[in-house]
Amino acid sequence: MAFHTSRAKIQHLLRRAGFGYNASELEEYVALGLAGTVDRLLDPPAEGVALQAVVERILAPFAGPALDRELDRERRTALYRAWYVRMAATRRPLVERMTYFWHDHFATSISKVTYASLMQTQNDTLRRLALGSFEELLLAVTRDPAMLLFLDNRTNSRTRPNENYARELMELHTLGEGNGYTETDIKEAARALTGWRLTETGAAVFRHTEHDPGTKTVLGKTGLFSDADVVRLLASHRGTARYLSDKLVRFFVRPDGHAGLAERAADTYMATNGSIRQVLRTILLAPEMYEPAAYRSIIKSPTEVMVGLRRALEAPLDSRAETDSGRALGQLIYDPPSPAGWTGGGDWINATTVLARANYATRITAMRADANPDIPALYRRYRVTGSAAAVVDWTLDLLVAGDVKDDTRDLLIDHLGGMHFDFEAAARDGRLHGMVYLVASMPLYQVA
Amino acid sequence: MLTNPLHPETVNKRIDEPVEDARILTAPLTRRGFITKGIAVVGIGSALPAAFVRSAFAEGVPTGTATKRRVLVVLQLGGANDGLNTVAPYTEGAYYDARPRLALKAENLLKLNDRLGLAPELASIKAMYDRGQVAIVQGVGYPQPNRSHFRSMEIWHTASLREDEETGWLGRLLDATHYEQQTVWRAANVGVEIPESLRTAEGHGSSLGGSTFVPSITSVGSYALQMDSAARNQATRRTTDWVRLYAEQAALGGALAFVSKAGSEAYASTVQLRGATSTYQPRATYPNNAFATALKTSAQLITSNLGTGICYVTTGGFDTHSGQAGTQPTLLRAVSDSVAAFYADLAARGIDSEVTTMMWTEFGRRVRENGSAGTDHGTATPLFLFGGAVKGGLYGETPSLRNLDENGDLKFNTDFRSVYSTLLERWFKTDPKDVLGASYRDLGFLA
Repeated sequence: MAFHTSRAKIQHLLRRAGFGYNASELEEYVALGLAGTVDRLLDPPAEGVALQAVVERILAPFAGPALDRELDRERRTALYRAWYVRMAATRRPLVERMTYFWHDHFATSISKVTYASLMQTQNDTLRRLALGSFEELLLAVTRDPAMLLFLDNRTNSRTRPNENYARELMELHTLGEGNGYTETDIKEAARALTGWRLTETGAAVFRHTEHDPGTKTVLGKTGLFSDADVVRLLASHRGTARYLSDKLVRFFVRPDGHAGLAERAADTYMATNGSIRQVLRTILLAPEMYEPAAYRSIIKSPTEVMVGLRRALEAPLDSRAETDSGRALGQLIYDPPSPAGWTGGGDWINATTVLARANYATRITAMRADANPDIPALYRRYRVTGSAAAVVDWTLDLLVAGDVKDDTRDLLIDHLGGMHFDFEAAARDGRLHGMVYLVASMPLYQVA
Repeated sequence: MLTNPLHPETVNKRIDEPVEDARILTAPLTRRGFITKGIAVVGIGSALPAAFVRSAFAEGVPTGTATKRRVLVVLQLGGANDGLNTVAPYTEGAYYDARPRLALKAENLLKLNDRLGLAPELASIKAMYDRGQVAIVQGVGYPQPNRSHFRSMEIWHTASLREDEETGWLGRLLDATHYEQQTVWRAANVGVEIPESLRTAEGHGSSLGGSTFVPSITSVGSYALQMDSAARNQATRRTTDWVRLYAEQAALGGALAFVSKAGSEAYASTVQLRGATSTYQPRATYPNNAFATALKTSAQLITSNLGTGICYVTTGGFDTHSGQAGTQPTLLRAVSDSVAAFYADLAARGIDSEVTTMMWTEFGRRVRENGSAGTDHGTATPLFLFGGAVKGGLYGETPSLRNLDENGDLKFNTDFRSVYSTLLERWFKTDPKDVLGASYRDLGFLA
C-alpha cells in the first residue's frame, strides 16, 4: 500500500528524518502537508522548555573541570541519558537525526577518548552545526578535543608526523576510500594538520612550534597550508559532495543508494557551498524518497528502535533503559566499533540482537516499572478505548503506519480479547500491554 | 521427524502448553540449515578439521569409542592484572626494592619453585597446579608494547600488530572452519558484548559481531524472549503470538523477511538452549560472583549437546592504579576459586581433559609501585592455561627485573601469538598460519 496518501508519506518521512512520531505531533505535521513538514524539519522551532530543563538537570555533573576521573563516572551515565532523552522528546527531530548521522560519520568512541565531558562537547558541536555548512562542521570536528584524541592528531607534529587523522579525514569524512587522493596527499595533509595539542583541562590549543609551516601540495594545490586550508580544499571538492550525498541518500532513502538522486544532491551541495540544509531539502523532497523501492527498505538501528518507542508511547523523560539495553541491542551511542562507525543494515540483525530488541520492548511495556510509559493512560488520553479493533488500529498507525496484512491485525485483535474486549480489563490484566509489546517487537516495527 | 515450532499450525495446536518445550528440538541446530530449510539436521562438511567435528558433535556420537571433545574457554582479565603480584619472584631483591608497600611477603606465597610463588589468594589454582593441570607461560607480550588498554586489547584480540586488522583470532578460526555450516551454539560469548576476538570477517560492523552469529548469553535463563513478570499469566500467549507474527511477516519479503527469519532462528535457539541445558546441575560449588556464574553458564553449555566448542568470558577491575592491596587479592581469589569450581564440575563428569582454558590480560603492570600504592600500565605478564589436557608447569623465561625497558617495564620473551599458535595446532589441529598468517614458536603446553 505504501504511499497512497500524503499522511503515509509524512509517516515515512518522520521515520527517516526523525525518530518516529507520537500521535499528536503526527497530526500537526499532517496539517502542514509534506512540503510544509520538510520546511518545519529543516527550520524547526526552539526546543521545548520541559526537555531543556530535563537535559540541563541530567547534564549538571558536567560543571567543573573537564578531565576529572572521579566526576567522570557520574558523567558517563548522564552523557548517554541526555542524548537519548533528546532524541525521544525533541521538537527538532531532523537536527537530532543529523547529529546522530554525524556521530556515525565522524565516529569517535568513548572507549578510547575515555572522558565523557569531551564526548559531550563533541555532541554539542555536532548538534550546533548539524544542518549548517559542511566546511564549518568539518573544521570544528578537526579541532574537536575528542577527535584530536581519538584519531591521534593531538600527537601529530612536524618532527613526528601522525597520519591517522589525515587518512581518515579523506577516507571516511570527505572523499571516500580510493576516490581521487593519493598516499602523498595524506602525508602532505598530515603536515598541514600539525600543531594541535590538548591542554590539561581538555581544551584544544594550537602550538606554532609543533606546526609544520612549510609548503604542502594537497590534491594538486600547493601552498603554506594550515588545517583550515585542507578542510576548505576537501569541503569544496566535488568528490566530497558525491561521497556525502551518496551516504545521505543511503541513510534517508534507500540502503542500496540511488545514483541519480545522489548526483542531484551533489549538484545542490556544489551550488550552495556545501549547505547541509539544502542538500537535505533536495533529498527529502525527491520523488525517489517516496517510491515503493524506498518503502520499508531500511532496517532501523537499535537507537531508532528504542527512542522511537519512547517517543510514540510518550514515555516519561529521562530513563536508564536505553543505556542499559543499547549494548545488548548492538549499538551503544558514543561507542562506535571503529572510526568508520557502525556498518548497520543487515549487521544490526542476528538472533541475539533480535531477542534484545524484543526484550527492550518487554521492558518498556512492563506494567510496573519506573520511567515506563503509562500505556492505559495513553489510550484514555486519545480516547481510544471503544473496541479491540479501534485500539489495534490506532496502535498500528502509531508504530507501523497501519500497513499490515489482515492476519496480523486479526491476531492482535484476538490478543486483546476480540469481541469480548473490555478496555479496563485488558489494561488490568496486561493484554493491552501485551498487544503493544507485540507491535513494538514484531518485524514490521524493525524497519523504517 | 521434527515439529517446527514456528509454523503457525504447530503453534495453534500447542497453545496451552509451555511454549519453550525441550521436546520440540533435540537435534543440533545449524545456521545455514535453519535459514534455508527450517529446522533440519545438516551434515557436517568433510572439509572440517576433525577436532571441530568432534567438538561440535561428540555427544551425539555413539559412545563406546573414546571420542574426546576439544573445547576452548577463554578468560579475559580486563584492566591489566598485575603479573608480579600474581606470580611473584620472591628471591629478587629488586622486586622488594621496587615495591616497598605492595611486594608480597615470601613466607605467604604458594611456592612454585625456589624463585617463584603464587599469590596466597590463588590457593585453589595452586592445588590444580600441584595436580599438573596448570601451565603458566611467563613473560608474555609482543614487540613495541602499547600501554593503552584499548590498543593492547585490540592487539591481543586481533592477534595482529596492524591497526587495520578488523577480525579476531577466534573469529578467523571460525571463518577458516566453515562456521556457517555448524551449530549456532558452536561458539558463545558468555557476557553482553561480543569480544573482538570472536569477530568474524563477515560481521565486524555492529558492536555485537554482526551477521555471522555468535550468540552472547549472560545466563541460560535470560537468553530468552523475556516476559513481563508483572503479567506472568500472559507470558505463554504473548510468546505464542510473537512467534506467529515472526512466522507470518517472513512472507513480506525484503528486509522484513530477513528480520523475520533472524527472529524465528533466535526463538528456536532459545528453545534449543532450554532443552539442551535443562538437566544441568552443577557438580561443584561455585563461588557467588559474576565471574563464577559465567563459568557455570559455560559449563552448562559445554555439558549440553549443543556442540559448544568455544566459550568466552570477560571480567574486569584489574586496573589497580591505586590501593592495589585492597582490590587485587579479592579479584584473584574470585578468579582462582571460580576456575577451580569450574574444573571440579567438569572433573565430576570426567571431561576435565576435554576443556582447555586460557586466561589472559592485556598487559602486566609497572615493576615500580606508584605514589598511590598502586601500579601503572606495564608490559609482559604471565598467562595461565588450565585443564586436564594441559602439561602442567612453568613455560617461557622469567623476565628479568634488572634488565628493564626505557619505561622501567619488563621485557617480554614469549610472544602471545605463540600461545595461540600452540592452541591452534595442538588443540584444534588447525594450521596456525590460516588464522595467524604466520607460524610462531610451539610452546608445547598441550600433549
